[in-house]
Amino acid sequence: MSKVAIITDSNSGITQAQAKEYGVFVLPMPFMIGENEYFEDIDLTQEQFYEKLQGGDNISTSQPALTQVSELWDNVLKEYDEIIHIPMSSGLSGSCQSAYMLSQEDQYCGKVFVIDNQRISVTQRRSVLDAKELADMGKSASEIAEILMRDKLEASIYIMLDTLYYLKKGGRITPAAAAIGTLLKLKPVLQIQGEKLDAYSKARTANVGKETMKNAIKNDIENRFGGLDKAIDNVYIQIAYTKDIEPALQFKEEVLKEFPGFDIVVNPLSLSVSCHIGPGALALACSKKVPELND
Amino acid sequence: MGVQQIDSKLLSKCFLAGAINLEKNKEWINELNVFPVPDGDTGTNMCMTIMSAAKEVAALGEDPDMASLCKAISGGSLRGARGNSGVILSQLLRGFTKVVKEEGDITIPVVANAFTKAVETAYKAVMKPKEGTILTVARGMAEKASDLVEDGCTDLEAYFAAILEYGREVLDQTPEMLPVLKEAGVVDSGGQGLIEFLQGAMDAYLGKVTNFSLDVTSEEKKEEEPEEKKTHKLVYCVKLIIVPDKNFIPKNEADITNYLESIGHLVSIVNNNNLLGVHIHTNDPGLVIQKAIKFGQIKDITIYNRNLESNPKKAKKNAAEAETEAVKVEEPVKPAEPAKPYGFITVAAGDGLVEIFKSLNVDYIIEGGQTMNPSTADFLDAASKVNAETIFVLPNNKNIILAANQAAELVTDKKLIVIPTKTIPQGITAVVNFIPDITPEENEETMNTEIGNVKTGQVTYAVRDTSIDGKEIHTNDYMGIADAGLASVGTDKVKVIEELVDSMVDDSSELVSIYYGSDVTEEEANEICELITAKYSSVDVELQRGGQPIYYYMISVE
Repeated sequence: MSKVAIITDSNSGITQAQAKEYGVFVLPMPFMIGENEYFEDIDLTQEQFYEKLQGGDNISTSQPALTQVSELWDNVLKEYDEIIHIPMSSGLSGSCQSAYMLSQEDQYCGKVFVIDNQRISVTQRRSVLDAKELADMGKSASEIAEILMRDKLEASIYIMLDTLYYLKKGGRITPAAAAIGTLLKLKPVLQIQGEKLDAYSKARTANVGKETMKNAIKNDIENRFGGLDKAIDNVYIQIAYTKDIEPALQFKEEVLKEFPGFDIVVNPLSLSVSCHIGPGALALACSKKVPELND
Repeated sequence: MGVQQIDSKLLSKCFLAGAINLEKNKEWINELNVFPVPDGDTGTNMCMTIMSAAKEVAALGEDPDMASLCKAISGGSLRGARGNSGVILSQLLRGFTKVVKEEGDITIPVVANAFTKAVETAYKAVMKPKEGTILTVARGMAEKASDLVEDGCTDLEAYFAAILEYGREVLDQTPEMLPVLKEAGVVDSGGQGLIEFLQGAMDAYLGKVTNFSLDVTSEEKKEEEPEEKKTHKLVYCVKLIIVPDKNFIPKNEADITNYLESIGHLVSIVNNNNLLGVHIHTNDPGLVIQKAIKFGQIKDITIYNRNLESNPKKAKKNAAEAETEAVKVEEPVKPAEPAKPYGFITVAAGDGLVEIFKSLNVDYIIEGGQTMNPSTADFLDAASKVNAETIFVLPNNKNIILAANQAAELVTDKKLIVIPTKTIPQGITAVVNFIPDITPEENEETMNTEIGNVKTGQVTYAVRDTSIDGKEIHTNDYMGIADAGLASVGTDKVKVIEELVDSMVDDSSELVSIYYGSDVTEEEANEICELITAKYSSVDVELQRGGQPIYYYMISVE
């Protein structure tokens, strides 16, 4: 049986400590703050990050350097036969594209599978855990890749921002999202479905925004994931947040009222997403359970 | 004794005379409004509705056939319908003509059927029919019309007289049915309008009316029509526009109005984009000018002697006339482009509010609202210019919803969905909550739910003394009006605002939005904003310039 390693990047929200616990590998995303480069969860904590972000520091994200990726792969391949590499969505970053190019090099070809399943944050995390479980079941890397790519679009994530400020500042916004009114204070609700971060709706208050996200998820479950009555067997519901966890935990309680019995993971959004959307954001996500793991 | 049947020629005359009589009495009917707010009034709305039909009737000439006449009455009033009473009147006429167009001449049984059909149609058009209104008066007359047939009434003149008399009796009863009317000491204005219309028609039936010309404005009819050669007691007709000084406040407008009313017959005074159009008949034009220059500068003045000169009418559109057409602010979408899935039409007055709606991607904004209720035709016009498959219509005023509904029924090539927003903040909430990815029906449901979660308070001034909900109101008092009715009243503006906001904010409130009007300075608005921010620490407070007339502040809590 082939020994398959699962690698992701820190956008999955999986910390270095959790990675050890789960038996997966996490590539830290680099950040430029002013002139200096930092690595998420290595030499940059969440607290330091938000302090600098809100202090007006110029923060930019970049992709992991290819040497960094190949070093990790080379190391991992000493112990494993194959690698499933799940980077953040190709719609949001070029890191997937460059990892794919690298995987086509002779020494990785047929051994490293880069998964372009367009996940981010909690849904990316879910894919990583699914991949790990599939590997533990004895599936080969190519089988795992096929399953993950088959279910590529079976996830959605809705993010309510506290402000449009950071999104506009970073320039990472689609024309539709940019068209959201600027005269009034609004809480935009964005969606990531497939590759793009796009405007979904907007609300005047946080409560209405949260309601909108719950309804959107409900709608997805009803129309795409096999209906509400079977949802608990078919769907994962996840929550993510930027900066403060308290509102997210409170939101979890509210979501549980609507979706009782669900085991809802609450994770911080990765910093490379937070960097573009700012503090105070809440996200609600769902992804379809992998049927192969459902027995 | 009058003729025993009415042919199309006589019906046309009756209709025109009814319209003219309504026009003559519109200012008076306006004053029957319960809320003493300076807003779009019943008399004006009904009058514009009926005049839209009257113009089509007049265009048919003196001897139209019955089918064309009915079509003109029904179609014209339907398209011209404004305000609740206007829409109900148009529905009454639609029901009436439905029966009449099938008959050659009108006889007693035809009248009974037509009245019954009219009332049926009107009740159907209103979602929650309220008694003590124009509907009650109309229904009373329809029942009387049927009862009289059963009683064997055979003389048409006596028949009409009895119906009209009964209508007046029901009208007099309206204060007993609607407590707000009783407290304000008025009868229902829409009912009064209906009676005036029918009285005019009755006069024509009896041959008392000789002039059926619509090409006159109300004051001229009032004083000039009965005898053309009459000498006017008030000799001079003065029309002018006041360009107010910067520190001009709505209370000044009330002052001017009161003063002018005391020195002659004030035909109209209209505030249009901060220009005051004045039209008055008086014996001392100097007093008018002196008063005007106290508050600003005079523009476009005309004075003529009503007994010695002919009326230079129509020479120049004055402010009053200019206001009668709702102004379109958006250029139409080029029809060649493929229709987009969704569009929005809304109604707003005030440059700030218009900008806000534009920033929310509303396609077409009908300028109007409080001062001028847009007609069904205005909505139809707007709908024709928005190139979308489904158009959401936000009337933002309870008096405009029916006209919008009526338009929605008349449009066949697009789907119009009216979200019954009663206030500007509700309209803003509705469009904010729109989600492009879900179906029109789901959006309709979402928007309807969300507009129920926003509370609106509006601050204005009283135009006359009255009493509402047990609160004494004096002319020029500030009034805070919440969704449920009058929340605060008094001479201290800040206190009135504070009490109003107090009545709206509760534990679940998250956001207070304040839209300040054209008569409020930014400094004052900032002070109010700070005051409210300090008072309610747990809510966000947002201040926006609305630029709306009449309402110093519109405040929403959600």
